[in-house]
Amino acid sequence: MQLFKTPSIRFLKYKYVALAITAAIVLAGVLNITAFKGLKLGVDFGEGTLLRIALKSPATEGQLRDLLKSVDLGKSQVQRSEKTGSETGREFQIRAMEAASTKGNEADQLEAHEALADKIITALLGDDGKAEKARGLIDLNTVDERTLTGLLESAFPGSGPDAALKVLSYRNREGIIRDFQDLSGEGLKPEVQTFLKDRTYLGKMTILSRETVGPQVGADLRRKAVQATIWSLLGMLVYIALRFRLEYGVAAVFTLFQDVLITMTVYSFTNREINLPIIAGILTIVGFSINDTIVIFDRVRENQKLMRGKPLEEIMNVAINQCLGRTIITSGTVFLTVGALFLFGGDVINDFAFLMLIGTIEGVYSTVYLSCPVVLFWQKWFGTKKGGRR
Amino acid sequence: MKKNLQWKVVLTVAVIALAIFLAYPFNDAKIRRGLDLKGGIHLTLQVITDDSINIETDQEVTRLEELFKKNSITFSKVTKEGLGRIAVQGALADQESKTRDLFEQYSRDWDYSFTADRANLTLKPLAAQFLRDQSVSQAKETIDNRINGLGVSEPLVQTQGKDKIIVELPGVDDPERVKELIKVTAVLEWKLVKAGPAPDEATLLQATNGQVPDDAEIVKGDPKRGEGGFYLVDKVAVVTGKDLRTIRRTTDEWNNPAVSFTLNADGGARFEQVTGANIGKQIAIILDKKVQSSPVVESRIARAQGGVIQGRFDAQTADDLVVVLKAGALPAGIKYLEERTIGPALGADSVRQGLMAGLVAIVAVMAFMVFFYRLSGFNAVAALLLNVLILFGALAYFKAALTLPGIAGIILSIGMAVDANVLVFERIKEELALGKGVASAISQGFSRAFSAIFDSNLTTIISAIFLFQFGTGPIRGYAVTLTISLVANLFTAVFVSHLLFDLMVKKSAKKLSI
Repeated sequence: MQLFKTPSIRFLKYKYVALAITAAIVLAGVLNITAFKGLKLGVDFGEGTLLRIALKSPATEGQLRDLLKSVDLGKSQVQRSEKTGSETGREFQIRAMEAASTKGNEADQLEAHEALADKIITALLGDDGKAEKARGLIDLNTVDERTLTGLLESAFPGSGPDAALKVLSYRNREGIIRDFQDLSGEGLKPEVQTFLKDRTYLGKMTILSRETVGPQVGADLRRKAVQATIWSLLGMLVYIALRFRLEYGVAAVFTLFQDVLITMTVYSFTNREINLPIIAGILTIVGFSINDTIVIFDRVRENQKLMRGKPLEEIMNVAINQCLGRTIITSGTVFLTVGALFLFGGDVINDFAFLMLIGTIEGVYSTVYLSCPVVLFWQKWFGTKKGGRR
Repeated sequence: MKKNLQWKVVLTVAVIALAIFLAYPFNDAKIRRGLDLKGGIHLTLQVITDDSINIETDQEVTRLEELFKKNSITFSKVTKEGLGRIAVQGALADQESKTRDLFEQYSRDWDYSFTADRANLTLKPLAAQFLRDQSVSQAKETIDNRINGLGVSEPLVQTQGKDKIIVELPGVDDPERVKELIKVTAVLEWKLVKAGPAPDEATLLQATNGQVPDDAEIVKGDPKRGEGGFYLVDKVAVVTGKDLRTIRRTTDEWNNPAVSFTLNADGGARFEQVTGANIGKQIAIILDKKVQSSPVVESRIARAQGGVIQGRFDAQTADDLVVVLKAGALPAGIKYLEERTIGPALGADSVRQGLMAGLVAIVAVMAFMVFFYRLSGFNAVAALLLNVLILFGALAYFKAALTLPGIAGIILSIGMAVDANVLVFERIKEELALGKGVASAISQGFSRAFSAIFDSNLTTIISAIFLFQFGTGPIRGYAVTLTISLVANLFTAVFVSHLLFDLMVKKSAKKLSI
């Protein structure tokens, strides 16, 4: 199937307009990041504590916030997690935003953040389970494997580990056990179920994850991420300069810088947090963009041999047109893939997929309207040596 | 079959077989999941390496005091001035050469200088660095041993940077216990009790006029063991954890969990002598400066007999005590810098959603390729499937864990694999449009598209290698899957796909379904 006949659109005619648009977006982004909203650093790169919880019965963000307000943690970010195929309002992500009390030195910061997390958990639980705990019951929704195994083993020697595994596998699948009745499908013996009803209770909340990062590690991760990015950009610059010419390498890396900036700009407008998986997303965009750029440069390199004497701008226009079909098909496919992730990927992948959606569109644009013009300008300013390297 | 195709077919089949062999049966044991997908505990901790310098300085002070006494050098005081800094006070001027000789001979790790009435010693930087490094590697080893005592499958204990240690425990769900287990210094000492337990220090020191005697010190009881109050004990321990020969979980006469031990020859002899001489007195069992219990010595304990540590333990605490005592004491204190506990439920959720999304994505891409490129599209589908297969084989071989960012890496590589196919197919179309025959269009298409595919894949591989080199955990996971699949991509999209065309399309074919 043919998408269309090779067109001859004079893309580079609009290079100044495009550059102006790019500059405007980047400027807006830089302003937004530096002067207004700033980038929201997640716990990975900032510091602090992030909790993911599941509730037995649905609640709203407001209700949880009110509970936190009562213990002076009203500034905490409470965010509902959207989970496909399940009732909403049962899973939340909470990040304490209050500065941890740091009377002591830096060393105690982590403990302070941990204490905040404990405080949040206590506030959310409220009086839930206090009476049951006083009677010596165990919360089946938070109990760890070892304790539960021990409890069941003492009552049913020989079948403790097996029964505990059945209960926990249900809890792991559903996030939280809502009713003892729900366990009946797990193949537990009736006497085990009766025993559980007698000796345990179902707390209103379970902790899905708890992450605390101290200032030292936060700074460390930040530094390492920046370092890794700079080195990998340098590596690409050198390789492209060797395989093509220096200006192509410079143009490619310049384009990538811009890709990262624009993506961050859009990202900063949406209030999402920057975490380690997001860095992976940005790197992926960089990967796609460099791929696009090289495919076009490769075609330019080839056309230079076939179209000797023609101005570079025209050669580039022809190359972009020749690659247009491929660009649309490939980017379309990637867009499709990332679209699937965005729709079905769930909470953790969602931010990443969103970033990729922006990046895919942006990457194509930047290849055509940034990497090619940069090469043109470079040659205009510094002149060009005869003959391309191969 | 054409001759030159034979070895290509053999190679391709061999690669497929190898990948299946490595990854079969595609379960958890073969394809390891990272903590973010499996659940578990990730801890970053810092070894307080200053501790090792402190210990060395303290020991040097004691050593110098003994040395001077033995060599009858008069001095008034040896004091610790700070980290790795010692001052010897007193009239040393007239004995300088003798002192200098002693320093040269016995304190080689120390720089020294003399002033009118004192000598100053500082620990040499190289020696200090050696001590610090040693304390980190010893701490790592100790933690390793303790973790092994936990019986976790595939734990990871790794040093990072100068003084950090990373601990990853997949599938573990009680962080508090693990943190405690790692953090206890586990210095175990038996010391004779001079007085106590008393509710406060003043009462404790009534007999000694409010003064702590030179050869004694005050320790607190461990409230967790039901031991409140203060004890006055000998400064010098009768035996310590280093004298232990065996250590085992047991139960005491009331059937409570306890820990039994036997001592080595040296420690056993000392224990026998001291217990024999102190019948009726209390002996305190002290763990990390906290009294666990203080039984009364009822008879001389023979050297081979050993004893039992009771402390109102619950079963788990007793178990853990055995683990840490077997693993030995930490050479320096540690503090936590980062703690992440990912519940198995969240991990399972991510896997389910990640798989779902990945599956939808791959099926969508494949459907599109077949729809757009007809029969040739199947070619791309085969290359894509093979790529994923090789990735799993390589992950299993390198024992690399699959993480969420790793899945991002796979998505990028799927995108680039599709792109490689698109580049070739579009090029073949161009060649066909120029009026070339099918066979020559295919071969021209592949050779013309090759440089673009090669350069773009290699550029990304180069960047991935740098990311691996300089990145941290999740970024590394990304770099690993990306590098593997891009290398696989060069093989599948160029070599295998070309081979499939050669096998399927007759040389004389007039039309190509593309």
